[in-house]
Amino acid sequence: MPSLVRLYIKTSFVYFIAGFLLLALMALDGWLHIGRWFGVAYISQLHLLVVGWITQLAIGVAYWMFPRFLKTHNPRPRGSDTLAWAVYLCLNAGLVLRLAAEPFHLMTGQSWLAALVALSGVLQAAAAVGFGLLIWARIRPLE
Amino acid sequence: MPATTRVFVKASIVYLILGALLGALLLFSRWLPLGSAVYYVRPAHVQFLIVGWLTQLILGVAWWLFPPLAFRLRGRGYPHGQAQRGSETLFWATFALLNAGVLLYALGEPLHIRTGSGPFGGLVALSSLCLLAAALTFVINMWARIRELGRGQV
Repeated sequence: MPSLVRLYIKTSFVYFIAGFLLLALMALDGWLHIGRWFGVAYISQLHLLVVGWITQLAIGVAYWMFPRFLKTHNPRPRGSDTLAWAVYLCLNAGLVLRLAAEPFHLMTGQSWLAALVALSGVLQAAAAVGFGLLIWARIRPLE
Repeated sequence: MPATTRVFVKASIVYLILGALLGALLLFSRWLPLGSAVYYVRPAHVQFLIVGWLTQLILGVAWWLFPPLAFRLRGRGYPHGQAQRGSETLFWATFALLNAGVLLYALGEPLHIRTGSGPFGGLVALSSLCLLAAALTFVINMWARIRELGRGQV
């Protein structure tokens, strides 16, 4: 398993734990009223699980297991390493930025926080497009 | 990777990109006012990512990687080639039903919310039936392949 794949999968596991930890804290907040932040974090929490955990795991495993290029055709059997790193960075920067900005934006309605939330969406969409470009040519018969 | 899987996976990646772009549009609308109509893309955003992307990717990869069929076809020995994976026709039916369900829901749900009218509610109900039929055809096709490798291997 290449090092970047290990990083994708380990990061997805971190989101898996973080998503359910946040869910537990939100449930506790409903009972003990820990803080207002937990009351508005539900959309971010959902995206931690759907994007950070399941989608990132799927991307990492696809990058690892999909048919590789022959070394005679392409010196990089899994495609561009730079693009694979860019996808990883955009996806995770987008997710973390969203988690950091969205609940506070929902609480305060400040415009600069809304701009950060919009930026997080652009980063995640860029990661999706980057992954499509990275993996498309590897969706092919085994040789 | 068989042709069937390639079609499933490529379709799933198209949905990932579309779903993420719609998500970015929704987040952008929190910063710049894009009009209330932008919220009608939310059902498509969710459906594209959960069913179109994740579910379709899982179905395609399962079809590719699960153990081949082990039972003897009547009078013809063990299945071989593509037949080792089950009925290709049924798998294409799964593909058609799943994508019809996703697209009908993405189209019908916003129209149903906006107009509250019966015909669009019917479209949403039809999309749900398509998704149910997709799930049933997939499970029927794959059930016998969920087995231990090595026993009855061709």
